[in-house]
Amino acid sequence: MKKTLKVSIALLLILGLSLIIPPNHFTVIEAQENEERYGGTINIAQKMAVAHLDSDNSTDWLITSMMNHVYEGLFEFDENLEAQPHLAKNYEITDEGRKYIVELREGVLFHNGEEMTSDDVMASFNRWLEVNGAGSTVAPYFKEIERVSDYELNFIFEEPYAPFINILASPVSNQKFVVRHQDIIEEFGSDVITDHIGTGPYKYLDWIPDRNLRLERFEDYQPSPLEPSYYSGERIPYIENIIYEFITEPTVRVSGVQTGQFDFAEEVPTDQFEMFEANPDIEPVVIYPDQMAMFIMNNAQPPFDNKYARQAMVYALDLEELGYSMIGNPEFWRLEASLHEEGNPWYSSTAGEGIYNNYDPEKAEELLEKAGYDGTPLVIVSGQDDRVERQGAIAIQDQLEKIGVEVELQLFDRPTVVERRAEKEGWNIHLSTFSKIVPDPQIHQGWTGTNKWILNWDDEYSAQMDEIFARMMVETDYEARYEIVEEFYDFMWETVPYFNMLDFSRLNIVNSSVQNFQEAWQPFFWNIWFE
Amino acid sequence: MIILFFSNLSKIVKKTNFRIAIIIITIILFSIIFTPYITEFNPRENNSRNRLQSPSLTHYMGTDEFGRDIFARVLYGARNSIQVGISVVVLTIIFGGMVGVLAGYYSKLDNVIMRILDGLMAFPGIIIAISLAAIWGGGKYNIIIALSFSYFPKMARIVRSSILSIKDLEYIESAKAIGASNTRIIFRHILKNSISPIMVQASFNFARAILDEAALSFLGIGIMPPNPSLGGMISDARSFLTVAPWIITFPGIFIVVIVLSFNLIGDGLRDLLDPHLQNNY
Repeated sequence: MKKTLKVSIALLLILGLSLIIPPNHFTVIEAQENEERYGGTINIAQKMAVAHLDSDNSTDWLITSMMNHVYEGLFEFDENLEAQPHLAKNYEITDEGRKYIVELREGVLFHNGEEMTSDDVMASFNRWLEVNGAGSTVAPYFKEIERVSDYELNFIFEEPYAPFINILASPVSNQKFVVRHQDIIEEFGSDVITDHIGTGPYKYLDWIPDRNLRLERFEDYQPSPLEPSYYSGERIPYIENIIYEFITEPTVRVSGVQTGQFDFAEEVPTDQFEMFEANPDIEPVVIYPDQMAMFIMNNAQPPFDNKYARQAMVYALDLEELGYSMIGNPEFWRLEASLHEEGNPWYSSTAGEGIYNNYDPEKAEELLEKAGYDGTPLVIVSGQDDRVERQGAIAIQDQLEKIGVEVELQLFDRPTVVERRAEKEGWNIHLSTFSKIVPDPQIHQGWTGTNKWILNWDDEYSAQMDEIFARMMVETDYEARYEIVEEFYDFMWETVPYFNMLDFSRLNIVNSSVQNFQEAWQPFFWNIWFE
Repeated sequence: MIILFFSNLSKIVKKTNFRIAIIIITIILFSIIFTPYITEFNPRENNSRNRLQSPSLTHYMGTDEFGRDIFARVLYGARNSIQVGISVVVLTIIFGGMVGVLAGYYSKLDNVIMRILDGLMAFPGIIIAISLAAIWGGGKYNIIIALSFSYFPKMARIVRSSILSIKDLEYIESAKAIGASNTRIIFRHILKNSISPIMVQASFNFARAILDEAALSFLGIGIMPPNPSLGGMISDARSFLTVAPWIITFPGIFIVVIVLSFNLIGDGLRDLLDPHLQNNY
């Protein structure tokens, strides 16, 4: 009896409450919480300045990192490194891999209020083919782009092109395809774009070179209906303003976050990791080894126009010593010869076997002699603002001097380095960092083929390398393609147009009041809010 | 002048500040001349596996981010600093002296030269040095020229004013009357008696050159890495201030000690060569 009474009272209470609380109560609370998330300005300490903001026209990945807020791609990568439709609604591959039918999302607005249509995508794509590094790699195999309707396009290739979608979504600089307003394309053509109208959650406000970039929330932003996952899916611009300050000095970036001047600092010294962990106001964000420290050689100039001289560099370097010099804390770097990380379908455990991490100064001297090196000092052009590049250049100079090679060190600010390394003469060695987050091995063609990127590689070996990539591109069977990829690795380590010295993780720090910050390889500030 | 120097010397050396400065500079000069015998470490050689070691009996001042011995780097860095200081002083005396003589002795040139020097002096010396180093690029020799260029107007002014105060004295007129050449008058009679302010200014220039070289190296346009320089070491050590404070401490102390000592010597020299202070001791 008592039990029945208790159950009856409970039921009455539930009934009473359901009458008192309106049915949309919890939705309202959620909406209020969401409402409270809006507002505020996030101040970001970016490690380097950029020369301009046109991602098609530069190999500088910082541009893509910042302009991801302004421009969006047809496809974007999720946290599992899978390309998801973003401005595209869906896509279909037909004609045995030669035709990509892409349907666009309707109602997507540009920052000037106009709707995105096929015309904007076509204009942006044609510019991408002409100007962008990955675009020019794709161009020889591409036939035409067909406008089916305002919201549908056909991308047609001469022959099957397997990595197309991954290349479009690539997070790597000078590769990613983003949609710009056609008026902008008409105005600037292939010149550097200085006015920006995109579809992203933030509008371009202004940019003062070497000082800051300011972005403002786009109130009419139309987010993707997919679940948010890194760069793909729903982007909600909770924060009202984003200000990127270019702070080349790491200690200033760190103290800025410590004092509250900045809410986020990019790439801070890993030696201070424990100190950050002990600070309740700071959240250290470790980006797992997504970067490779690359040793780039000018293949057009002696002595590196000879493969033996290039091989000599691999034997001359004590890579473990370099790891300590460039990164420091051994928790933040590892020696790895493969250009794809373990777990990636294109990883190879045998890459670089016998030559990579095989420190042998005597062999290096022999190889240099075999290459006919005449003792002319080698010029290293590297960045003085980037710790990895600067420390690496100094450490490499020391190691090369130990085998009797005279080295001239030229350290410059980032824009000067980008300008100098683009020249065919005046430098022999350059250090750079590549993203390890590369979805398809075909992308390496943009760096490794004949006269690609800055290597100035143009000889019988580069032609052979082109032939390997040509086979890789049309092969759709995984096993057969993997064999070609292994062939690429073997040939790369035999001819060594450039090589990866080590992989390293980056350490960013964010103020603890910033909520929902994701540990993505390029930091983004949508879907975050202040506590 | 020489009599004045020796008559004041016995009094000046009794001043504690001057004595300490002389002792410190002697020790530093001795250390940098005999550096290869004092430390076995190469200041440029990396040993990164041994990085950020705190001071010990092997590494008296610890190691830096490349595992290099800081003691060796500080000594070689001080050597570079002193070389820059000496070179700048010599060049400043030569060029400042020449321009000062022209302006002071030949009154027709005075106005033109002095207006140009006024123009140059309107800019702070370090700004001129930074601009020149930025145009020519870093490196020890470029810094020496850049600093000399920024210091010489002041030296020229000092030489000119000395000459102006001397050139109308009776003994100069007597020299002219007996037919002495201008060169003889300038070098034998005028410059010889202007030596005191030149020496004092030179000692201050020395200290300033060391400080400015450190500033330029700190800004990345001075002595190029991996060559050691005290300013460059401080610049590189900023990232490690919280985890390895010894990297920044020792070069900082060295700069302070060297600059302070040379300034104290400059003060002492000024007193030594100043006839007005002769009876004040």
